[in-house]
Amino acid sequence: MTWNIQKWLQTILISWSNFTTYRLNFFLQVIGPGLVFFFIKYNLWSAIYGGNNTIVLGGYTFRSMIQYHGWSMIVLLLCQGMTANNLSEDIRMGRISNYLIYPMNFWEFHTAAFIAFEFLQLFICAVTIGLIGFTSLLGPIHFEVLINAFCYCIFVSIFWFAIQYLTGIIAFWLEETWTLRVIFSIISGFLSGAIIPLELFPTKLVEVLSYTPFPYLTYYPVKMFMGEVGFFPKGYLILGVWLAVIIIINKIVWRKGIKMYTAAGM
Amino acid sequence: MKHYLDVYKEFISTNFSVSLSFRTSFTLLVLMDIFFYLSTLLTIEFIFQHISSLGPWNKEQLMFFISFMLVIDNLHMVILSESFWVLSHQIKTGDIDFILLKPIHSIFAIFFRYPRPSSILNTFLTLGVLFFYGSKLSLDVMSWILLPFLVLMSFSLLAILEIIISTSMFWMQEGLGINFLRMQMQQLSRWPDYIYSKMARKALLISFPILLVGSAPVHFLLDHSEWEYLIGVLLANVIFFIVMVTLWKMALIRYESASS
Repeated sequence: MTWNIQKWLQTILISWSNFTTYRLNFFLQVIGPGLVFFFIKYNLWSAIYGGNNTIVLGGYTFRSMIQYHGWSMIVLLLCQGMTANNLSEDIRMGRISNYLIYPMNFWEFHTAAFIAFEFLQLFICAVTIGLIGFTSLLGPIHFEVLINAFCYCIFVSIFWFAIQYLTGIIAFWLEETWTLRVIFSIISGFLSGAIIPLELFPTKLVEVLSYTPFPYLTYYPVKMFMGEVGFFPKGYLILGVWLAVIIIINKIVWRKGIKMYTAAGM
Repeated sequence: MKHYLDVYKEFISTNFSVSLSFRTSFTLLVLMDIFFYLSTLLTIEFIFQHISSLGPWNKEQLMFFISFMLVIDNLHMVILSESFWVLSHQIKTGDIDFILLKPIHSIFAIFFRYPRPSSILNTFLTLGVLFFYGSKLSLDVMSWILLPFLVLMSFSLLAILEIIISTSMFWMQEGLGINFLRMQMQQLSRWPDYIYSKMARKALLISFPILLVGSAPVHFLLDHSEWEYLIGVLLANVIFFIVMVTLWKMALIRYESASS
């Protein structure tokens, strides 16, 4: 048992150091996109509202819209990892042969990397909230609200990891799997309310979306950070069901994929 | 020139063969672009269900701008996109050595080497959307005649600016992140210049004129009296082409083969 914990701990530490070796690269790849995305949205909504805080669009004043997008930046930073990006390359280049003889298997190694990444993201988000918390950008911040939302976001990030893991192991069959990842992130970026809040969507579409995982990936976590949604069992339940389905698919795909793996760099 | 065209024909033919060998990847690439176009257009559609205008432009004008940018984006996907991702790898592995030995300019050999045939299918779609919104605005004859030239001019400016950004990979040990910076610049250009604050607009129109890519031609097409935008794109193309070539030469001097 001790050996097992040591194994995980060491892998987490190695992954942490891998992520932070090229710091500028990490900033440009992970933090930069979120900041630019927020910068664009701030300017866009400033132009739409024209600085008038009395205008209300879909229930949002200018201030609450900016708060929504401020928290949306934090949610994206916290939840959307990139640890599974190299997974497909590991399969295609035949590098998973190493994992087959390691005392730690493929998913354990990548999960440890994901945990390291989550710690890093938690740290970055805490610093970001600390820095911009002094402005009115995020609105009033309460400790219990933060804890509640952070816990839910960790659950969301597990879902993202499972999805990315799935798109990665499809490399047993596909030459390029990054397209699948990008397709999912385009669809979820739009349907999860990361680009515009769901209140601006047609009502019928929002109804349909409530059965999909999308609103639970950005919209609801943002609402939790804003203090408009408290403990959210419905979110845990719906996302949990989807997560279970994806984990089962992951297991099936891995089992079938590993049978046709030739270790020759497919 | 003929020599370069012949080489480019070979690039296209090789990439066609490669991408048709992996048909699922080919289809997914087409789908990826379509989802991107849909999400972009629907975002504007949903926003305009709650507002009547965004700055000086109404829905049709903004949709025309967005569709203009989709055409540029499609050209970028077809001609350049893949090569930028390969570059960081080529610098790390020293593959550029072989390119430098070839009797063609290294910028051409590196950035035009990997055209993406799958995106050609979507060219018809993006052009269709552009013509649809153009006709909704009842553009005059001059605008229709100038449109292809303006698209090419904008695309060329985007390419020049992105190559300038990419040269920084030669000064870095891991250049992958630069591609994300480049993509963020694209994101900035996908919205009209007037949404940005005064200082940001100035910086992004003059110092690093990424906003000229889409905003300048569309401003001119919608209102011919705004000809200064057109001069801006032309000048930016010339000035930043010189900057690009100079920086590229410096980057190649800095390049140390596989160990760099």
